[in-house]
Amino acid sequence: MNLPILPTSVVGSYSMPSWLERLKTEYIMRKISRHDLDEIHDTAVKAAIKDQEMADVDIITDGEMRRDNLIDYFAERLPGTQIDHTSKKFYYDFYESVVTGKIPTASLGLVDDFKFLRANTSRETKFCITGPHSLVKRIRNEYYKTEEDFALDIARVMNMELKELVRAGARHIQIDEPYYSGFPQDLPFGVRLLNTLVDGVDAHIGVHICYGNRYGRPSWAGNYQYLFPAILEAHVQQLTLEFAWRGGEDLELFKEFPGKLEVGVGVIDVKSDSVESPEIVAERIRHALKFLPPERTAVLPDCGLLRLRQPVALGKLKAMVQGAKIVRKELQG
Amino acid sequence: MILHVNHVRPGHAKLAGDVVATLLSLLEDGRVQSGILQNLDVHLDWIQYKTNFREPIIVRKAVRNDEVLPMIEIAIDLRQIGETNLRESLAEVLKTVDGDRVALEPFGPMRNSVVWSFNKLYWQYLPDWERVSGKGYEKALPGGTSDGHNPVAIKDSANKFWTLLKDMDSKGQLPPEIFVMEIGVGTAERALRWMNDFKEQDREHGTQYYPRIRFLVADYSIATLNRATERLGPHGELCSFLALDALNPFKSLSFLRYKMLYIHLTNVYDNLPTDEIAVRDGKYYFVQVRSYLHQSEVQKICEKFGVPPSDFNRTVTRLLEVGPVHFSEVDQGMAFWQAVWAALHLEERLVAVDSLMEAPLPPGMRPSHVEEFVGDAADLRFHLSSGAVESFSNTIPLLHPRGFLEVQDIFVAKVSDYLQGFRGPGKLDGSILNWVNGAMLAEIGRQAGYDVHFAPFRYREKSNTSILYTTQREQ
Repeated sequence: MNLPILPTSVVGSYSMPSWLERLKTEYIMRKISRHDLDEIHDTAVKAAIKDQEMADVDIITDGEMRRDNLIDYFAERLPGTQIDHTSKKFYYDFYESVVTGKIPTASLGLVDDFKFLRANTSRETKFCITGPHSLVKRIRNEYYKTEEDFALDIARVMNMELKELVRAGARHIQIDEPYYSGFPQDLPFGVRLLNTLVDGVDAHIGVHICYGNRYGRPSWAGNYQYLFPAILEAHVQQLTLEFAWRGGEDLELFKEFPGKLEVGVGVIDVKSDSVESPEIVAERIRHALKFLPPERTAVLPDCGLLRLRQPVALGKLKAMVQGAKIVRKELQG
Repeated sequence: MILHVNHVRPGHAKLAGDVVATLLSLLEDGRVQSGILQNLDVHLDWIQYKTNFREPIIVRKAVRNDEVLPMIEIAIDLRQIGETNLRESLAEVLKTVDGDRVALEPFGPMRNSVVWSFNKLYWQYLPDWERVSGKGYEKALPGGTSDGHNPVAIKDSANKFWTLLKDMDSKGQLPPEIFVMEIGVGTAERALRWMNDFKEQDREHGTQYYPRIRFLVADYSIATLNRATERLGPHGELCSFLALDALNPFKSLSFLRYKMLYIHLTNVYDNLPTDEIAVRDGKYYFVQVRSYLHQSEVQKICEKFGVPPSDFNRTVTRLLEVGPVHFSEVDQGMAFWQAVWAALHLEERLVAVDSLMEAPLPPGMRPSHVEEFVGDAADLRFHLSSGAVESFSNTIPLLHPRGFLEVQDIFVAKVSDYLQGFRGPGKLDGSILNWVNGAMLAEIGRQAGYDVHFAPFRYREKSNTSILYTTQREQ
């Protein structure tokens, strides 16, 4: 499928309905079965797909409706990880998880979820994973000598998973690494992790870096200066950053450090319930284009839409797409 | 009949037993219908406030829409009731007694009650009230002084904040402007001390944080802000004075979203309107109230102030609209106000809530907050702390990722504390005193990504104050 200039996409998660939050929590409390929860997830994914299609988003995801949070979906699947299933009472909390031996080489089983997405839409799709740097900040390490060793081994196992995804037809893959911003001193090894993770993976790879969106608010403060120039060494095609709620000042970094990376520009504030107008979105895109060429610019929300109510999330996606269309028209003269 | 002994003081065991015996003897004498006892809940309380809205014995009926339900509650304040009048009082209260009462309003949610208009009027006319009563409002406080002005507590707070800034500085996280806010500045005594202490700490360490402070001084009263402007003169260049609705700071300050490093409130939450919910046999009821005076009290007040009894309600309404200046002499208006306030009672009824999803919960509160708070409790009555919840929910979005909220107030920190005594409302001079449902705030904070902690106020012995502070939950 040919994508338009300034393609629109989402960062990953879609609005989590409160009824699904309750059911996920009930599953944790053993009040509903895994089978029932799987069916509920399938239905929720279809609804998330439908909303993205209605908004006319070019590259869509499954809304990450099956995931409790950034970490647990992967921690539960990562071979050799021990999970204390009594350690959380609300779905959004994190499980206590630990690795006590070398991670065995085995599948995480993500392909089935990707296939479900593909089977339910004719649009271009994207599959998002949490990167090893973020995972090692939450999964306790009781085996590897260093955090970097631990993360590199996760990257090695996940690299095979990404290749499986590509074999199943995945063309767009996004790696989420929000913890870079909390631990900027880790960036050099973070880039090594990325390069191990994507080595030989034949897909369009993006990496999403924000300042956190847990509970719908930032986890850290600062600016993207710390990413440069190290991030330019990452073997990825796209960098997806947040500029809507933080303002676009950091876009100037791309003038200072020009590279070949595409930039997914965050133009939707996911921390606010206020729905942007298409004109405001268009203005944000125009501002980004002062620093980036249009052929290397994509249009996305700042981060996942998880914490927004569904009408707000849908409204924001529609505004994002409309704003992108306004600017495309201007570019095409 | 079910007896709930909510709180009994030593030495009053016999009185508690007498309540049951008296009710049964009234039944035997035919002075109480036998049907009533089948659905009767009797609550024995001990109201610690010398002045409050409760009569010695009150009846609460339960309704759904306009239908009166069989359930009926009697609440007895063992502090006010005596053995001598127990029998007659119980017999009287179980009859319909509306005819003796002059209601100032129809039944409605507690947060909308006219008592909050009295409360607001008190703060607006505080200097007049103090002049007429001959004592400052702090003297009316239980300890005779405000914990908000404790110099050691203030110094600790300033030092703690400096330590946070130092840590952020060492990690290169300190923003160029350091936003700090106090909501409900009052006399500005605390704000002044805090700034003095912070400046001194900064000077001692040579850190140069003080000039970067942007201190937002907020209150809803312009007169208060004017006084605060004068008081904070030495730090004036770093201060901004804002007329702000404590219920929604975010509305005025959305441009500072995620930028505030420290927000402080003292004794604000306990004075904001609230609702109450009662859980009975696992079912939810909203407590609705109606303020009233006894006919005999209205008669006395009218005679004393030359107000025709037929004009009594209208005169109270005008008092609340324009203040004591409604009377030709302010002092007479003040005296009328004080007499009405002293005689004011609250009648209560329980309104059945079929679904929390449809319940009129305050802004910032979801059904899941209430459900988590109540847990498995089948019988519980608690404050929703509507105003505090609204304020809290509209304040935390202003916090910087490393910022924190500090609230000094009287908090019910555990759900079980509601089972161990009456938590308000009481009358404190001309204002309302209510404990704040801290456990509910903690639940709301938890679901918003903050851990909420309560530290006892260790700076004054026997203080009921505690300090709420937030810490960010795990990332």
